Amino acid sequence: MTQGDELLQESAEDLFENAPCGYLTCALDGTILRVNRTFAHLTGHDRDALLGRRFRDLLTPAGRIYHETHYVPLLRMQGTVREIALDIVRADGKRVPALVNSVQQCDDADTPRFIRTTVFDATDRRAYERELLRARRREHDIALQLQRSLLSGTLAASAALAAEVVYRPAQAGLEVGGDWYDAFWLDDEQTTVMLVVGDVVGRGIEAAAAMGQLRSAIRALASTGLAPGPLLDALDGFAARHHVGRMTTVALAQLEVATGRLRYACAGHPPPVMLSFRAGPGFLGDGRSVPIDSVAIGGARREGKAQLPAGGTLLLYSDGLVERRGRSLDVGLQQLLDEAARHDGDDLAAMLAGVVRAMDDDHTDDLCLLGARRTG
Amino acid sequence: MSALTRNNVAVQGDPDSRPMMFAHGFGCDQNMWRFVWPAFEDDFRIVLLDHVGAGGSDAAAFDPARYSSLRGYADDIVQISRELDLHDIVFVGHSVSAMIGVLAATAEPERFTALVLIGPSPRYIDDGEYVGGFSEEDIEGLLESMDSNYLGWSSAMAPVIMGNDDRPELGEELTNSFCRSDPEIARQFARVTFLSDNRDDLAAVHAPCLVLQCSDDPIAPKAVGRYVAAALPQSRFVQLAATGHCPNLSAPQETIAAIQSFVGA
Repeated sequence: MTQGDELLQESAEDLFENAPCGYLTCALDGTILRVNRTFAHLTGHDRDALLGRRFRDLLTPAGRIYHETHYVPLLRMQGTVREIALDIVRADGKRVPALVNSVQQCDDADTPRFIRTTVFDATDRRAYERELLRARRREHDIALQLQRSLLSGTLAASAALAAEVVYRPAQAGLEVGGDWYDAFWLDDEQTTVMLVVGDVVGRGIEAAAAMGQLRSAIRALASTGLAPGPLLDALDGFAARHHVGRMTTVALAQLEVATGRLRYACAGHPPPVMLSFRAGPGFLGDGRSVPIDSVAIGGARREGKAQLPAGGTLLLYSDGLVERRGRSLDVGLQQLLDEAARHDGDDLAAMLAGVVRAMDDDHTDDLCLLGARRTG
Repeated sequence: MSALTRNNVAVQGDPDSRPMMFAHGFGCDQNMWRFVWPAFEDDFRIVLLDHVGAGGSDAAAFDPARYSSLRGYADDIVQISRELDLHDIVFVGHSVSAMIGVLAATAEPERFTALVLIGPSPRYIDDGEYVGGFSEEDIEGLLESMDSNYLGWSSAMAPVIMGNDDRPELGEELTNSFCRSDPEIARQFARVTFLSDNRDDLAAVHAPCLVLQCSDDPIAPKAVGRYVAAALPQSRFVQLAATGHCPNLSAPQETIAAIQSFVGA
């Protein structure tokens, strides 16, 4: 016999009693029949005080509900359950985070007879998990803050132009999306305004940062006198040179407020809606092209032209307003037209709020609706 | 979308027989009926379903507004019965689905003509004289711990940490094979379930009801089962020897026998 063999002359009893995890045997109804020393120590109870009690009686009320509604059914169906996180309430009232595994033991006829359970102290692991979750939330908060500060500032408006926006960041899930909007004057005399709604691919801090860069780039490019089509061409170059915002979609609309002359272009973005009292709502379907920096198109971004009548309204929006999983995009676009028509008589802010209220039934994506109206 | 796809509806047994519809409770899926429904397939048309967010249901169909109360789940049950053109249904509901069945039967009494309520509770939180079995703090504790995600599966935890969007296999390996649920939806389902109060809905049920009460059920104590039976206009109360909250799994034979004697099968 080697020295190793000699060292391993452990008794079954010792293996059980002093195992590096709590070990217990329960009847099928959960009544505790046997526990090892490690488990008694973990719970702070005398062994005798544990026998005859139910395992669930050692859990918090919340844990008991979870035990009855998840753990027990699963054990019955699978015969085993693994890595269930539960809190064990100690004799002194303190809680020990634990990971619990169980196996249902059957007789020769495959009839379940009793349950074997091991319990691992998971205090450190639980603390680590919480730390990870906290770090995630922190990152989320930073991205949200970044997004907010990048979008702060007032929209261009004048006696002849009303501009309003509804912006709702994604609520479900942990990550901030990359939608943005803008409305700024192209000249000091406030004759022409540029309206922008865009959507950067990706989520979180990176998307928020890319969105900030593209938003600034569009402002700077617009200040050089570029019209929407050529501006998108220039934005392709900017995105490619600086490796930012690839596959971003964006809609640009340049409006001469006094005349209603409109030039617009959409890079992979859903079309703007125009409402005029005479014609009712409709999409501005020209000026469509692919997303930013997606394929080489050699500086040929298309542009549409239209005439926004006095009192008419222009709506730019992000896909979060019209796109839903398991539903054709056409359904959402039609709904947008219907809702816009329904609220056409409202003042601009009320109109946007009404449209969003009717359509905002899913909070998994950012949602942005920008409206401008010729009021002069 | 068809309710049959959305709720992963499975239909078995004789299409000309009286329908028997089984609805699972919080924390599980239609698998929990596997020891029970085969006993009825010769005499009934068996209809099994998963609530949205559970089992093989379409989680994308989850609409927080629709499922902000048990009525949304009851509407699903009604839609299923319409799509399959079911009448004279024996509805068997476990746990929270007992109340979902009560709401469905109130909405369409001509379709739901007998209810089997297993471990029903119209309200989980104590309220004055009424003993639901839980304090508000108990339920808040459950909801908080589900919200902060430390209670329950590590497999529900793991995808959250790992960000399973791009590496689903990390979550996959850990997941137990039965009773999968979308963690986000399960959290809201828990909230809706344990904060519900359907005591006033019981009197409106005109179908005969069987209340199956387990012994020593920590989720739905005996006083609650008695309350339900007393509040229903037509009810039979049966005390089972089975312990715990899931007699359909722990004591299927006793459960089957009680249902058989109720439906006269």
